[in-house]
Amino acid sequence: MTLSSTDTPTSQTANSAIVFDQVTKLYSGQAAPALDSLDIEVKSGELVCLVGPSGGGKTTALQLVNRIVDLSSGDIRIGDRSIMDIPAIELRRTIGYAIQQSGLFPHYTVAENIATVPNILKWDKARIKKRTSELLELVGLTPVDTWLGRYPSQLSGGQQQRIGIARALAADPPVMLMDEPFGALDPITRMAVQDEFLEIHRAVGKTTLFVTHDIDEAIKMADRIAILKPGGKLAQYGTPAEVLTHPADDFVAEFLGAERGLKRLALTTVGEVLAAKTDSESGLQQDSNSPQVESDLTLREALSAVSAAGAHGALVMDGGSHLGEVTLHDLVNPPAGAVGARSVEGGGS
Amino acid sequence: MNDIFGAFPFMAANFGMLLEKTGEHLVISLIPLLAAILVGVPIGIWLGHIHKGEFLAVSITNIGRALPSLALIAILIGFVGIGMLNAMIALFVLAFPPILSYAFQAVNSADRDLTKAARGMGMTPLQVLSKVELPLGLPMIISGIRTAAVLTVSSATIATIAGSGGLGDVILNQVAYGIEGVLAGALWVAVLAILVDQFFALLLRVAAPTGVRRLRAATV
Amino acid sequence: MSGIAPAGDPVIPDYGQASECVINNGAFCGDWFVDQWSTVFWPPLVDHIYMVVIAVVIGFIIAFVAAVVAYRKKWLAGPIGIVATFLYTLPPLALFQLLVPFTGLTLLTVEIALVCFTLVIIFQAVLSGLAAVPDDVKKSAIGMGLDQRQLMLKVELPLALPSIISGLRIATVLTVSIATIAAFVVDSGLGSPILKAVSSPFNTQFIAAGALAVLLAFVFDGLLVIVGKALTPWTRARVS
Repeated sequence: MTLSSTDTPTSQTANSAIVFDQVTKLYSGQAAPALDSLDIEVKSGELVCLVGPSGGGKTTALQLVNRIVDLSSGDIRIGDRSIMDIPAIELRRTIGYAIQQSGLFPHYTVAENIATVPNILKWDKARIKKRTSELLELVGLTPVDTWLGRYPSQLSGGQQQRIGIARALAADPPVMLMDEPFGALDPITRMAVQDEFLEIHRAVGKTTLFVTHDIDEAIKMADRIAILKPGGKLAQYGTPAEVLTHPADDFVAEFLGAERGLKRLALTTVGEVLAAKTDSESGLQQDSNSPQVESDLTLREALSAVSAAGAHGALVMDGGSHLGEVTLHDLVNPPAGAVGARSVEGGGS
Repeated sequence: MNDIFGAFPFMAANFGMLLEKTGEHLVISLIPLLAAILVGVPIGIWLGHIHKGEFLAVSITNIGRALPSLALIAILIGFVGIGMLNAMIALFVLAFPPILSYAFQAVNSADRDLTKAARGMGMTPLQVLSKVELPLGLPMIISGIRTAAVLTVSSATIATIAGSGGLGDVILNQVAYGIEGVLAGALWVAVLAILVDQFFALLLRVAAPTGVRRLRAATV
Repeated sequence: MSGIAPAGDPVIPDYGQASECVINNGAFCGDWFVDQWSTVFWPPLVDHIYMVVIAVVIGFIIAFVAAVVAYRKKWLAGPIGIVATFLYTLPPLALFQLLVPFTGLTLLTVEIALVCFTLVIIFQAVLSGLAAVPDDVKKSAIGMGLDQRQLMLKVELPLALPSIISGLRIATVLTVSIATIAAFVVDSGLGSPILKAVSSPFNTQFIAAGALAVLLAFVFDGLLVIVGKALTPWTRARVS
């Protein structure tokens, strides 16, 4: 796990895995549990998406971790400690929390918002200032000085969400909880913020639990996906590739949708296919209309480009240089070695 | 303390007189109220419908609130002289601002999406007003009338200094009615104000369109 | 409490050499106003300011505490609101008179009544200000580990400030107006010169005292607007 390059507070433990151990939540006055015997482990540094239809208990699962909602039975451990052994307020200060609509304080400036938790933890001023600047740079809001004094009402939705993430990261918590953080953004901003967050996640390696109702977002972001079904039961837990290739049951298959096969293609980039290809011969008939695709495009995007051009393959480019060719066959049936190459140590459920 | 209990025998003994004064009181408060409704509600609705005059509505409300009823009635003595007309003009001036500004807000604040949808369905401006803006704004219009009604009933007590009659005659004439009479009058007018307030509260519940459960606290 | 008999013919008070304007009881005699400023108007104006400030400060403290309590214990909001609204509905003159048997013809009577009229406005303003704090803001504050006190002091109260200030403005303006009626109970405040001039309808005194009350209300209102703006810089932040 890669720690933040910045000063690391004492709360950081080497093991920040989140373990759900037979977790059940029954809200008072309701017959059926919102979450039923959830049993998953989120490894240190992993990004796990909780997905499912409304009523699947995914937000409940998230809010159990920082004790906004109380457990009915079972246990949740972060590292080796049960969350019930830590006072709720103290626990929350060691967990980054980002939500939809950002939840930024409208009466605080950007700097004050980011410094919320460091301030209540009584960090000294110089340290807070340094940390704030680092975080603004991390989320790409530079030059830092132009953003520090602004109020949230002076920011766009995407900028607010970036500040929300910076605020969640402020005290360098080992664990991040994100509740549909990009749910309110327009598709284009959403893609950009997703990409940025993935980069941040790779850089700082926080164990992250991420709730979303958007399966495409989960496929794009997650190391592993936990699919919950109505009644709060876990339907499947696995890497995006596993889930897409072998849905555990009809519910999962239906939830993934009829385009499940296409979604799977979004897991692999053209560059990965090219690298995994054993035969050096492309076999591509040099159609004059073969489109050029960048090597970091997904197969799904490349397929779309090829289809739009009415060609049989594409030329893979990296900036200006020509890396090779991929055929329609390569795109639709990527070599085994290429699929899921992105996912980390893909353990099963 | 004992004086308070003395108020009740006084009420029993002077029931007829109190009723007569209550009648006067209602006349001098309700006629100006009615006039303020007849003038203020249409103007407020019209300004709200065309979404103009926000500044006017706010200013009139502020000035109305700041205007001491005592000063108003006293000043009118100089120009109108004493008597009922003085009191009625003063009470009209006091009742008009809340009625106008609530009626304005009621229509002006109607959800723009709703009025847009109504226009989109082909309603004429008059239909938008009568089918959408007015039914939704009615509770607020009544809230304004309620505020004004309590204000006029309250202020009519002071109008007695202009010789207009009403329960103020009893409250402010200890020489004639004694301390028991003063307290009886005060209790009587307090109950009257509460009854008037509750009457409009009831009207408010009846007037709210089914499906609209907007609890508008009658902020002043 | 004297019986105030409606007057007949104007009786112009004898203040020495009266000007033409005063003798004819003109609408407003500037010379007389200036002459009498220090004796007839200035002392009541000062009294009036004291009366209003004391009432609003005490009313604010009571209503503010009540609103914060009612915000925490929701079931209290209804009963407190009903009591406050009831007090507000009472005609000021009636409330003054009803208090006299208990507290006499004193400033205390006046202040109690004035406080009663401020309560409902400030109570509702604070409560609705707190209730309007967006859920996502509270949720993220709790999620970041703010405790109840920090949530109230750092998030909820600051965000309720605009509503609190506007309630305070209304309550203050209203109190300036109602405080004139206190003159029926104590010889104090701007209502006093008005009442004294009623028996001899003297226009300048009515108009000057009435205008001073209105002016005072606007000055208080303006001051509160300035204070409110200074306390809530984020409400004026513009997209640059």
